[in-house]
Amino acid sequence: MGPLIPNGIIGGGWDFVIAILIGVAFGFILEASGFSSSRNLAGVFYGYNFVVLRVFFTALIVAMVGIIYFDFLGWLDLSKIFILPTFLTPMIVGGVIMGFGFIIGGYCPGTSFTGIAIGKLDAVFFTVGLYLGIFAFSLAYPLFEGFFTSGALGNVTLTDVTGIPAHWFALAFTVVALAAFWGTMFIEKRVRKNMKQYKF
Amino acid sequence: MNKNYIILTILMLVLAVGTIFLNREEEPKQIEPSKLLQEIIQPTRYVTTDQVAKMIIKGDPGLMLVDVRSNSEFEEFSLPNSVNIPLDSLLTGDNLSYFGIPGTQVVFISDDAIKADQCWVLTKRLGLNSTYVMLGGLNKWMETIIDPQQPSDDEPYTVHETYSFRKGAQMYFTGAEAEVGGSKVKVEVRRKEKTTVAAGGC
Repeated sequence: MGPLIPNGIIGGGWDFVIAILIGVAFGFILEASGFSSSRNLAGVFYGYNFVVLRVFFTALIVAMVGIIYFDFLGWLDLSKIFILPTFLTPMIVGGVIMGFGFIIGGYCPGTSFTGIAIGKLDAVFFTVGLYLGIFAFSLAYPLFEGFFTSGALGNVTLTDVTGIPAHWFALAFTVVALAAFWGTMFIEKRVRKNMKQYKF
Repeated sequence: MNKNYIILTILMLVLAVGTIFLNREEEPKQIEPSKLLQEIIQPTRYVTTDQVAKMIIKGDPGLMLVDVRSNSEFEEFSLPNSVNIPLDSLLTGDNLSYFGIPGTQVVFISDDAIKADQCWVLTKRLGLNSTYVMLGGLNKWMETIIDPQQPSDDEPYTVHETYSFRKGAQMYFTGAEAEVGGSKVKVEVRRKEKTTVAAGGC
């Protein structure tokens, strides 16, 4: 059956409507998970709040295992879904930059908008910086172009690269994620015990 | 410790482990539907009974005849050196390993061309090349090779040429003798008539 648009079940014009609906749901869940607070978000780096890790890992493993079941039941044709092309080095560097930005600014791009939605000043500053950064990068793009497009592997999946079936990765990620849930809970408890200035 | 977390953790683990046991049937690789359609509407897959007969007689080593009728029909009558792979068991076992071998031409044979055509579409869809269909099937074979009809005198030369080839092929496949007319020749012993008149001497 799925994906709906490539299979012609609904028209291509619907992608914007679906994007808005998913965007609203995404923003709602982010806010409801407490992602509009930069303290919650940055807590993952200091060890007193791992909600980011738990929420994103939950979303990841549920989606991953769900997609495999959808494929099995014939609801989603995995060969037709879009796979983001991989650029190895730029992605690693980008990840590091993003991580630093996350610690320093207290938000990631998506969560900064949920921060704005509830009127957080720091989120407004973060978002202004975000757009300035995008603008600066666009202007300086010719400088980075060679690096930006280096290490292109195409639209590959882990299964393509390693030959290991997708369900083994799903199982491995699930086990790691669940272990992380329980492990971080203990870390959280310990760290919070020694913190006096921040109430939970 | 929150009870819900424990339940959800176990549920997630069970679901993740369950993915390993999902019985995924490996879908065979297929060619693009548009390409298949293009191949289907072209008559290049057909070989005539004359061509098949010629190849059999010449002992073409690249020729492989695949009879797609049922086993019992195959037992009853089949072309020499043909292999029986019924249509419904085409994709089972390692039957597919017969096809797509470089240098061989697989010709599908059935009573008419319908079952053979179906087999051809299946193999083509799987991307296997050099498979053909005997046009008209065994019915046509009977009509043209086993029991060729003599063309009338005003037919073109090529028709007569084909007929003489078919006649030769008929002899090859049936062991019939040339122009016997099918009936038994009654052997009549003619005795030399007795001459009553005395042969006169000089």
